[in-house]
Amino acid sequence: MRKRSLLLLAGAAAIVASLVVGPAATAGPDRVSAGTVVFIHDQEPPNLRPNWVDNSLYATALVDNSIFLGGQIRDNNANWVTRLFTGPPKLLKKSPQTVQFTFSPKANWSDGTPVTCADWRATWQIWINPANNPASRTGYEDIKSVTCKGKTGVIVFKKVYAAWDALVNSGVWPAKYTAGKDANKLWEDSIPVSSGPWKFQSWQKGTQITVVKNPKYTIAPMKLDRVVFRYIADTNARFQAMKAGEGQAMEPQAQLQIADFQKDKNFVVKAVAGYSYEHVDIQFGPKGAAPLKAPYVRQALITGINRPQIASALYQTIAPGLPTLQSNIFKSFEKGYVKHYARYPFNQTKVISILKGKGCTGGPDKPSAGNDKIFSCPGVGKLSFRFSTTAGNQLRALTFEVIQRQLKSVGIELVPRFQPAGLLFGTTLPSSDWDLIMFTWVEDPTSKITSRDKLGCGGDINYGNYCNKKASALLDKTAQELDDATRTKLLNQSEAMMAKDIPSIPMFVRPVFTIAAKKLKGLTTPTTLEGDFWNVNTWSVS
Amino acid sequence: MLQYVLRRLAYSVIVLFVASFLVFTFVAKTGDPLAALRLNPRISEQSVENIKERKHLDDSVFVRYGYWVNDAFTNGFGTTVLGDRPILPDLWRVMKHTLQLVIIAELLAILIAVGIGVYSALRQYSVFDYTATTFSFMGLALPVFWFALMLQVGVVYLKDWTGYNIFPIASLSSVDPGTGIHFWIDRAHHLVLPVIVLMIASIATYSRFMRASMLEVVNSDYVRTARAKGLTEKRVTMKHAFRNALIPLVTLVAINFGALLGGAIATEFVFSLDGMGLYYISALNQNDPYPVMAWLMVTATLIILFNLIADIAYGYLDPRVRYD
Repeated sequence: MRKRSLLLLAGAAAIVASLVVGPAATAGPDRVSAGTVVFIHDQEPPNLRPNWVDNSLYATALVDNSIFLGGQIRDNNANWVTRLFTGPPKLLKKSPQTVQFTFSPKANWSDGTPVTCADWRATWQIWINPANNPASRTGYEDIKSVTCKGKTGVIVFKKVYAAWDALVNSGVWPAKYTAGKDANKLWEDSIPVSSGPWKFQSWQKGTQITVVKNPKYTIAPMKLDRVVFRYIADTNARFQAMKAGEGQAMEPQAQLQIADFQKDKNFVVKAVAGYSYEHVDIQFGPKGAAPLKAPYVRQALITGINRPQIASALYQTIAPGLPTLQSNIFKSFEKGYVKHYARYPFNQTKVISILKGKGCTGGPDKPSAGNDKIFSCPGVGKLSFRFSTTAGNQLRALTFEVIQRQLKSVGIELVPRFQPAGLLFGTTLPSSDWDLIMFTWVEDPTSKITSRDKLGCGGDINYGNYCNKKASALLDKTAQELDDATRTKLLNQSEAMMAKDIPSIPMFVRPVFTIAAKKLKGLTTPTTLEGDFWNVNTWSVS
Repeated sequence: MLQYVLRRLAYSVIVLFVASFLVFTFVAKTGDPLAALRLNPRISEQSVENIKERKHLDDSVFVRYGYWVNDAFTNGFGTTVLGDRPILPDLWRVMKHTLQLVIIAELLAILIAVGIGVYSALRQYSVFDYTATTFSFMGLALPVFWFALMLQVGVVYLKDWTGYNIFPIASLSSVDPGTGIHFWIDRAHHLVLPVIVLMIASIATYSRFMRASMLEVVNSDYVRTARAKGLTEKRVTMKHAFRNALIPLVTLVAINFGALLGGAIATEFVFSLDGMGLYYISALNQNDPYPVMAWLMVTATLIILFNLIADIAYGYLDPRVRYD
């Protein structure tokens, strides 16, 4: 009996000790070294192999971008900032397209060897090797040759590649460590060298990745000793952990919890418009509803949706002033942005007059919130459409409810088809068996160059089967155009034509948010997928 | 006895086989692990084809199931579709974490629940009994994810109030967990909130069972006989009543323990604990049938095993039970 009591006592003592000593042993942010930043993120990378088909995750880019640093990187406004190169790469010749770059004499790997053109060439060869599985060979496969002379390289393209600067500026892998290896198995759990401000230190699977200052990087060295990426899957837990001081920075999705941080004096919340945008695609193919092929029905749809009100309703609290997007090619903050779709302002009375003017019957005489009469149009039938989008996303569900209510009040019916993301994007979207589909295109500054994939006739991701041959021909030209101004002009000419057809309804650019503890200085909100750490050299914690 | 165990194991193999085929079919048919790739206009078709070929994604579900069975037996459940990551090391890691959580939570729950159940039965209709009953029903009714979130919110409020972060909100360890005893203390500290959450429902269930079982035993003839023989109340309660009252609880705990080893999904998710439950949810989100299948096989095997243990234990504790 005494033994049992002693055991019980020992157990109780252990629990009490863990509660008392535990907090002291816990390396919360107040206790870790002053040079440590804990960055809370939702998704843990499956491996550290960036831009690979099985891992083109932003979570991986956040860790790897500062290990395989680019010749130039994007700042928070998507402008180029020189890093490993001596300056911007030069376009030597337009035909055949020839480009020259030079690595800085200060560009070294963390093991002391210099970063040279040989590393660039080795990376190119990895990317074009058919046995390897990079996420995208775009650009690399258009290169004819790479001639190296120490730190300088000359690239000759087989055909014109418009987004050449982004390609040449990409981070390179170390030739010394990749030679003779199966690239599909590289950087599985660690990366032995770095050309950037930090190097890999450790990975506690399921919990965190730690990177530490790279002393051999002198171009824009970081002041911090280390950055720890903590992975917390649950949205609420991420916010609570941040509030509890278990992290100093995070980049949350648009969530209402952000409003709490805006009121909290211990945190700084920033929001900027990003390159991803929400839109509703319209199906032009045989599997789509017949009425959608009639231009006046598409016009009725876009005119019946109060797009500014939706953006405002969703983001008024956390990102006020988010503009309605009026282009499917340019983002509202980009140079060259023209409001092509502003010609369709919200006007419910006009919707009814358009439909009645085309002989549609059975709908309401005037817009009414309680309306349950649905229009039927000559030759195409009832204006009832399947509306597909992802399930489990509160903001999308709310957007759908608003659109459904607004269109119903003018005699157009939407039937929800919410599906898990895997099913929607894996099966439904490519099958073209939908009428209207709402989702986000995740884009970057160079995406507009390949707009033909999305909107051109037979484009790879033109799942709506829209085709305007004249506009498509212009989009084809843009992909071959090296001059920015001419390309912008061509894109706008093409979109002016397409806006009359309404292949897709642009909704709004998705805002990007960052939350930082007040004691963390230097964090900016990134517009592009370069991520938060582009200027990690300026970060400090007080 | 041996014949009974072998018969049960034979049935289990059939159950596992049918369950594995059904689940594989459902997962493989309803989701596409390459779905996310399709949204990227620049994704290399050749790279996607390489994966399809390597993972036989274009083959029929029967053929794919065949490959999976082969992998399960010869290659530690194979690798993930995306990332080509070996499944067994990850599964083994998360299982150890879940074991830590579940063992601590169950042991504490049993200790507390048995105490509450016995005392409630011996003091039937007392204030303690009514209070325990009320809290048990509350414990059973509390949604786990909500309770977990409330605990996190409570810790944050406490921190705002006192400036001291008493319990970690998420993860299994600190940024610098240390080594040896420091590591384990840090781990215990991180498990406090999840253990509380997991314990609540178990305490509620076990204490009700224990109370009911104890009430039945203390009113039985042999306990009356023991008292009539002049044994002390303590001896009657502990030796004659308590031991027999434990029998139903043992089976319940064994079954519950087996199920929990599959991962306390809500608890692990909310607290971001790198355990079986979080592993399963992540695999489902990625539409990857291979880790889902590995999880299912391990979980199903454990449930079957612990059910068998419960049955054997029941027979061992209660000699009236025969394995005919």
